[in-house]
Amino acid sequence: MRGLLAVIALDLKRLWSDRVRLIVGLIQPLLYLFVLGSGLGANSRMGGGKYLAYIYPGVLGLSLLFTSVFAAMLIVFDRQVGFLKAILVAPVPRPAIAIGKILSGALQALVPAVVLLVFLPLLGIHPGLLRFLGLLCAMTVAAVTFSALGVATAARFKSTTVFPIIGNAVLLPMFFLSGALYPLANVPHWLKILAHFDPVAYAVDLMRGALLGTLFFPLWLSIGVLAGFIVVLTWLATRVFASGEDA
Amino acid sequence: MTQYAAHSTPHSVLVGVCYTRPNLQQVEKPLTESNPAIETHDLVKNYDKVEALCGIDLSVGVGEMFALLGPNGAGKTTLFSILATLRKPTGGSAKVLGRDVVHERPAVRRHMGIVFQEPALEQKLSVRDNLLLMGLFYGLGIKAGRARTADILENLGLTDIAARQTQKLSGGQKRRLELARSMVPNPDILFLDEATLGLDVDARRNFWAQVRQFVRSGRTVFFTTHYMEEAEVADRIALIDKGRIIALGTPQELKQRIGGGVILLTTEDDARAFAWLTEQGYKPEKSERGILLVSAEPAAVLPKLLTTMPVKPLRAEVHEPSLEDVFLTLTGKTLDGGEANPAKPAFTIGAAP
Repeated sequence: MRGLLAVIALDLKRLWSDRVRLIVGLIQPLLYLFVLGSGLGANSRMGGGKYLAYIYPGVLGLSLLFTSVFAAMLIVFDRQVGFLKAILVAPVPRPAIAIGKILSGALQALVPAVVLLVFLPLLGIHPGLLRFLGLLCAMTVAAVTFSALGVATAARFKSTTVFPIIGNAVLLPMFFLSGALYPLANVPHWLKILAHFDPVAYAVDLMRGALLGTLFFPLWLSIGVLAGFIVVLTWLATRVFASGEDA
Repeated sequence: MTQYAAHSTPHSVLVGVCYTRPNLQQVEKPLTESNPAIETHDLVKNYDKVEALCGIDLSVGVGEMFALLGPNGAGKTTLFSILATLRKPTGGSAKVLGRDVVHERPAVRRHMGIVFQEPALEQKLSVRDNLLLMGLFYGLGIKAGRARTADILENLGLTDIAARQTQKLSGGQKRRLELARSMVPNPDILFLDEATLGLDVDARRNFWAQVRQFVRSGRTVFFTTHYMEEAEVADRIALIDKGRIIALGTPQELKQRIGGGVILLTTEDDARAFAWLTEQGYKPEKSERGILLVSAEPAAVLPKLLTTMPVKPLRAEVHEPSLEDVFLTLTGKTLDGGEANPAKPAFTIGAAP
């Protein structure tokens, strides 16, 4: 447990000491919400305000996805400069390193996403306490899933140049496929089938369900799939950390 | 805690740190002087089809300062990484402080400190925070971590710069901080991988003074280097080349293996001089500095050479063999990897190629 807390404490302390990363991380989701929402909303048949409310969980997903996955880039950087070795030679169980990295990435993504919640009333959304708590739970599950995806992937990379390129190439299609910006109910059948393989789709659906009460996937399926992703990705990340420099 | 008795010598300023150690290791088998600090048997490491280590047998005693000397690509870092639990061997076995580096990794990790070739510090954090955070990784709570950090900073003379951001330190200060980081677990064995690479002479001298202080407390140091003057401070040295230990002994023993002295000749025509020396039955070696000639009695041989050689000598030196000469004689190449002589080495010691 101490090892896990050590990993989280180190990452958060490093984030705190890097004010530029901290401030950009807080501003970015607001840009997503107001620029993306206003631009797309003006052209939506739902109308600007209603569309903003619709895509709000999608913007939360976008923010959580990119912030948590790119938080994992620190692992690639640490491997490249040699800092990761100092962690790998410490007597900390490898699962604790993987879980610590996943939780610290999730925390780093959750903070700016929670800041977005302050703007809910401005969008005309007034969830009750239960819905609000449900949304927080869904956001946490989403953040942990995305962070696990980032850590399991980043642990295998050795170059900070390649990781963002691959990251963007994979993350953007996952986001557009997720139904974050349009209802999955209205998309062609083949797209619906593809969405079933996209963890972002389940995460966004879970958040939309908590906030607006409409679900595309059954609740049990979303929770089951995301939990499965978390377990498998954590196992994969643990394996890489256990391999040390042989990875 | 009896195993720390060896640390409490009057010379050691690190002694105060030893007794604040957490009791994590009490359930483990005790470290005794009868266990070698490092022991490897037929250690092999292959990367695909490349043999990085080809059957290393090594034993390093507790309290010993042991150097692994060899050119780049000789297998130093691979051996280092296996002992530091960062890589698994392909074959054979290795133990550190009596614990297997594959099957008892957590136990090995609790007892070792490491300074890597690359910086393993968070540049944006202060000197103190780097040590405090590393303490968390070794099971130290906040209070114990602060006490340990304060002790280490004081012992290594870093207290004055404790609040300074790491990226603002000089190269020498950063290396001392790396050494400080390696002291956080209060290790029984210290691994140093090319730890002074790129440092100026003063900074290197300062670094080794701190390391010697650690050894004086009865603990073990295993280091890799390709600076021969650094290797000279070791109790014993292993010369490694192409994944094999080619010679092992004290610096003096290694030098004695190649004879009484080395004659260094530079002439108007080194190629012709080399050929003539070979014809006369000598075993010359080419180096960047000229022609090297190992001799049991250099003072007697040199005057004879200078009078009979058919080439005009420009400069002649006689010196005690250096480790570089030993390496050159054993492998036919220099420690920086340059080929000194395409011919076979004069003789080989250790595992057969």
